[in-house]
Amino acid sequence: MNEKVTSTSRLLLNNFVTNVAGMCGLLVIFLVITAAIFAEQISGYDPNLMDGMSTSLPPSTDHLMGTDQLGRDVFSRVLYGGRNSILIGITASFFGNLIGTVLGAIAGYLGGKIDTLLIRVSEIFMTFPQLVLVLIFVTFMGQGVSNVIIIFAITGWMTTLRLVRSEFLSLREEAFVEADRAFGFSKTRIIFRHLLPNTMSPIVVAFTINTAIYIIAEAGLSFLGLGVPVTTPTWGNLLSAAQAPVVVEQYWWLWVFPAVAIITFVTGVNFVGDGLRDVLDPRQRTKSKSMTMSATLKEKFFGSRRQAND
Amino acid sequence: MIPMALAISAIIFFASRLSPIDPLNSLISPDAASDPTNLAILKERLGFNDPIFVQYFNWLLEISRGNFGYSIQSGQPISEILALRMPATLELVLAALIISTTLSLLIGLVAGSNRGGLTDKFSRALAAIGISVPDFFIGLALLNILAYRVSWFPTGQRISPGQVTFVDRLPHLILPVATLSIAMLAVLIRYTRNSVLDTINRDFVKTARSKGLPEWKVMWSHVFRNSLGPVMVLIAFRLPLLVGGAVLVEAVFQWPGIGDTIVEAVTVSDYPVIMVVSLLIAVAILFASFLVDIAKSILDPRVRLGATIE
Repeated sequence: MNEKVTSTSRLLLNNFVTNVAGMCGLLVIFLVITAAIFAEQISGYDPNLMDGMSTSLPPSTDHLMGTDQLGRDVFSRVLYGGRNSILIGITASFFGNLIGTVLGAIAGYLGGKIDTLLIRVSEIFMTFPQLVLVLIFVTFMGQGVSNVIIIFAITGWMTTLRLVRSEFLSLREEAFVEADRAFGFSKTRIIFRHLLPNTMSPIVVAFTINTAIYIIAEAGLSFLGLGVPVTTPTWGNLLSAAQAPVVVEQYWWLWVFPAVAIITFVTGVNFVGDGLRDVLDPRQRTKSKSMTMSATLKEKFFGSRRQAND
Repeated sequence: MIPMALAISAIIFFASRLSPIDPLNSLISPDAASDPTNLAILKERLGFNDPIFVQYFNWLLEISRGNFGYSIQSGQPISEILALRMPATLELVLAALIISTTLSLLIGLVAGSNRGGLTDKFSRALAAIGISVPDFFIGLALLNILAYRVSWFPTGQRISPGQVTFVDRLPHLILPVATLSIAMLAVLIRYTRNSVLDTINRDFVKTARSKGLPEWKVMWSHVFRNSLGPVMVLIAFRLPLLVGGAVLVEAVFQWPGIGDTIVEAVTVSDYPVIMVVSLLIAVAILFASFLVDIAKSILDPRVRLGATIE
C-alpha cells in the first residue's frame, strides 16, 4: 500500500504544465512583465527624454524601435508603457471581478427580488457598448490612471455576475449547503466561506480573460485620447500617435511596435486563460468539443495536446 | 424591450440632472439664453419648476416628437447633428453586420463540416488573431498598406470633395467596413463552427442521411438551419461590440459618424449630446436584438416570442 497520493492542486498543476499553449502563454507573460519591470536597465534611455537632434528616426541599432517626433526613444516608451497598461489591465480586472463575484453570489444565493433587480441592472449595462459606457463615465469622472481603473471596473462586472450567479444557483441546492443551513450558519458565512471557494475556478478564468480585454480597452480609450493623460506612457497612449495621418503614413514604427507589444501580451494572457479553463473546468472543454467518431479516436491518441489547440 | 428602454431613458435623464451643467442650457438655443430676464420666464414655461417626474415625462414626450435639445458646444439642435451623422454610422455598421454575418456563417459551416480541414485551421487562426488584436490596429495596418503604400483606397473620410453618387462613396466604405467585419468575424466563425459541430452529431442528421438525402441538402436544410439559432443569439449579444468598434474605426478613418460625435462630445463635456446619443444607441441596440429574436423565432418554430429560450 505504498501508492503515491497526489493532491488536487498538484494534479491541476501537472495538467497545466502539459498544456503547451498555456505554458507558452505563461512564458510570454513572464518575459513581457520582466521587461517592463527592468525597463531602465533594458532600454538604456529615459522614456521622457526629448532629444531634438534625433527626431522621428526609423528603427536602428541605436534606437531599436526608432524615436518619435519629439526624439523620445520608442523602445523605452513601450517598456514603460507596458508597466501602466498591464497595471491597469490587472487591477481593473481584479476589481471588476470582485464586484461581479460579490453581486453574483448575492443574486444567486438569495434569489427572488434582489436577483431580478441585479439581473435587470446588468442587462441595462450590457445594452450599451462598453466603450460608450466608459466614455459616459469619463465625462463625469475625468481622465487619469485611477479613474480609468475605476471606470473599467464599474462597467465590466456583468459577465462575472452572470457566471457566479449561475454557479451559485446550482450549488445552493447541494447537500452540504443544506447541512450548513441546518447548522444555523449565517448567510454571509455560507456564501463566502462555503460556496465561494467552490466557484473559484470560473472566476480565475474570467479574471485572466478580462485582463486581456481591459488591456485592449485601455488601448482603444487612450487611442481616442480619452484614457490616461498623454504625460503617462501606456501602450494605448503610444498608439494614439497614429491619430495623425502623417504618422500612419510615414512613421509606422510609432504605432506598430506598441501594437505588437499589446498583441504579444494579450495573446499570452488568452492562452493562459484557455489553458486554465481546460484544466480547471473540464465541463467547458467537453461542451465546446462535439465528438465525431474519428475525433474521439484521435483524442484518445493525442490526448490533451490536441485540446490545447482548440 | 419597452420597459428596458424606459429604464435606460430614466437613468440617463436623472444622471443628466446630476451633472454640473444647468439643464436649461441644453433645452433652449443659446441665443434665447443670453437674456437673463427671460430665463426665469423660460424656466417656468419649460417646466423646470415642476416635480422631477413630471419633467422626465415631458422630456420623453419631447424626445418622441424628435426634439432632442441643443448641443452646448455648437448651439446646434441635436436632431440636426444626428440627421447629419447617423446615416454614416448606420451605413458602416449595417454593411459590416451583413458582410461579417454572411461570411462567418459560410466559413463556419465549411469549417464545421470538415473538422480539421484547411478552412477549419484558417478559422481557428483567425479566431486567435481576432481576440488578441485591437480592431483599430487592423484599421491602421490596412490604411498604411492599402491606402498609403499602394493607394488602392482613399485614406479616410466618407466622401471626397466633388463626389456625390453612391458609387463615388463606395471605395471610402471598403476599408472601414473590412476593419469592422474582421473584428466581428473571428468570434462568429468560431461560434458557428462549434454550433455546426454540435448539430452534425444529432440523431436527425443521421436520419436525414439514412433517408438518402444528398449531402448538400443534409448540410443546408438540416444542419445549417438548426445551428443558426445559437449563432443568432450571439449576434444579438455582439451588437453593442459592433457599435463600440465603430467608435474606434470612425476615429481611425476620420469617418464623420455617431462615434466621432460622441468622442468629440466627451472631449468637450457636451452633456446633452452624450445623453441623447447614448440613449439612441441603447434603444437602437434593444430594437436590433428584438429583431434578432423575431428572426430566431422564424428560423426555429420551437422558439416563439414570449417563451423562454432553451
